[in-house]
Amino acid sequence: MDIKTKALLKSPWVFHLSTGSCNNCDIEVLDCLTPRFDIERFGMILAGSIKHADVLLVTGSCNRQSAIRLKRLYEQVSKPVFVVAIGECSLSRGMFIHSYNCPVPLDKIIPVDVYIPGCPPKPEAIIAGVVKMIEKVKAADKAKKK
Amino acid sequence: MIREEVLRQVQERFKDDIIDFFDKTPKRVFIEIKPESITEVVQYILKERAARFNIATALDARYHTEIIYHFTIEDINLLISFRVKLDKKKPKIDSITPILEGANWIEREMNEMLGIEFVGHPDMRRLLLADDWPEGIYPLRCDYKEWDEKAIRDRGI
Repeated sequence: MDIKTKALLKSPWVFHLSTGSCNNCDIEVLDCLTPRFDIERFGMILAGSIKHADVLLVTGSCNRQSAIRLKRLYEQVSKPVFVVAIGECSLSRGMFIHSYNCPVPLDKIIPVDVYIPGCPPKPEAIIAGVVKMIEKVKAADKAKKK
Repeated sequence: MIREEVLRQVQERFKDDIIDFFDKTPKRVFIEIKPESITEVVQYILKERAARFNIATALDARYHTEIIYHFTIEDINLLISFRVKLDKKKPKIDSITPILEGANWIEREMNEMLGIEFVGHPDMRRLLLADDWPEGIYPLRCDYKEWDEKAIRDRGI
C-alpha cells in the first residue's frame, strides 16, 4: 500500500472525546490502554491534541450544548480521520431517545465509520472493532490499487 | 438533645405554621409548612438546631407544585424534610439564598426546569439548559410538549 495509508494504519493515534456520557464507556476505553487489554501493541497511543489524531473515539449522546463544541472540534481535525462511535448512547441515543436535551443522533452531526454496540462494550469488543476497521481499510486500498 | 425533644420543640415553636407532621421512620420526618413561613423555619433550624442543608427537591404534581427542603442533624441521626405546596399556575416563594449561600444553584435549577419564581434571589441566571433554549418552556413540567421541529424521535428501522 502507498505511504499515506501505511502511515495512517500502522500506528494510528487515538483521541478520546466524550460528548456528555455517564463515563462508563470512558472507563472501558481507559481499560483498553492498561497492560491487560493492551492496544499499545498495535501502536495506538492516546494523543494529547486533536490535531495529532488519526482515530476519534466518541462516547456519549450528543446534547445541545456539546453539539456546538463537537462541530468546532471536528473542523480542527486533519483529515483523513476515522470516527468510532462507542456505546449505545452514541449509536442512537440509547435510552435517551425521548429526552428534551438530545434532539438528533450522532450520525446526523458528524460522519461515523465504525459502530460498537454495548452498554458499556467490553474492551475486547472495542479492540475487535478498531482492528476490523483497519483490516477493512487495508483491503479496500488493495482492491483500489488493482 | 434527643430526637423526640427536638421534634417537640419544633412543633411548639411553629404551632400555627405546621399543617401536617408525618413521622415516617426513626431517621426521617416529613413536616408540611405554609409557604410564608419558610424563612423563619430555615433560620431557626440552621442557627439554633445546628442542622445542615442537604438539597432541595421539587416536583410537579397533579393539582399543585411542591418543594421539599432536606435538613440533617447528624448527632442524633435525623433527616427533617420540610414540604411546601405551591400554586400551579404561578408558583412563587421567598428565596433562602440570603440566609444560606449553598442554596444558590439549586434555586437557579428549580427556576429554569419548573418555572418556580424565587423572590429575593441575587443572581437568577440560566444554569444547565443550553443558551439557545427558548424562554418560558419548562422541561420538567407535566405538560411539556416537544417544540423542536428538527428533532428525530424514531429509531429509523
